[in-house]
Amino acid sequence: MEMITGEQLIKALALLAAGLSMGLGAVGPGIGEGFVGGKACESIGRRPDEANLITKTMIIGQAISETTGIYALVVALILIFVV
Amino acid sequence: MLVSSLFSVIGSGIAMGLGSIGSAVGEGMIAMSAVDSLGRQPKASPKILRIMIIAQAVTETAAIFALVISLLLLFQAGTDSLFKGVTYLSAGLAIGLGTIGAGLGAGLPGAAAMKGIGKQPKNSDVLTVHMIIGQAVTQTSTIFALTVSLILIMLAPDGGLLKMAACLGAGLAMGFGAVGPGIGDGLVARFANLGVARDPRNMGLLTRTMIIGQAITETTDIYAMVVSLILIFVI
Repeated sequence: MEMITGEQLIKALALLAAGLSMGLGAVGPGIGEGFVGGKACESIGRRPDEANLITKTMIIGQAISETTGIYALVVALILIFVV
Repeated sequence: MLVSSLFSVIGSGIAMGLGSIGSAVGEGMIAMSAVDSLGRQPKASPKILRIMIIAQAVTETAAIFALVISLLLLFQAGTDSLFKGVTYLSAGLAIGLGTIGAGLGAGLPGAAAMKGIGKQPKNSDVLTVHMIIGQAVTQTSTIFALTVSLILIMLAPDGGLLKMAACLGAGLAMGFGAVGPGIGDGLVARFANLGVARDPRNMGLLTRTMIIGQAITETTDIYAMVVSLILIFVI
């Protein structure tokens, strides 16, 4: 087997870290957005007249829950392309 | 040679072992809820049993995907390259972890539909349709994991350290990335099903909201797939 230089090792570990960052980073937002969407459906089941307001609030809530997922994506892309 | 074939056998074990957790728990939740409904409405037992079996069959898909990948990996066990062995291991990780979320997630709407049928057996047709739509959307995260793991098995690059780390990273990204969105989709479908059980007249509105909610929940899964495809093809 040929010699592995330090630079190659850092790059390889950065790629592995990118996978872990995006993978584990997607767990929380996924479950959190599920809660928001679920409770919105529950409230629409109870008060169908307020559907527009509830859908709007649901989308805002899910977008904010999404931010940590986007942070994980940005960190993963930096680890892939910059490091 | 021994070490490299070991990796693909371990990958096969991980795929089937982790891959059965979610489906098993999800089917258990459906059966639990069905037994509860049977106690409440013994006269509706044929209907409850039929819908329970449909719900459990849809929940089972995730485990079947894991079984397919696990068998494919067992056939690859003769490889003599360490790099290929690690790629097979990461394919096993992708599908094994990736089915946990969808299995659990498909169980949640199934359990909610069984509960609704126990309360009002005459709503069973509407609830079955709504449950199947919810469970089908929940399965997308497993299908992404299946795609990535098939790509990893078919390509199986035989290149240096960088490529090996990239493939392992791709497997981990897709595997863990599918857990959260799978459970989240299931939660959305669960509450939508409970809403339909409460008043079937709201079904159109609830299906629309459920699909919007599930589509937004699915975005993190798509990010994970994009990252893993970049790791496989660009690096």
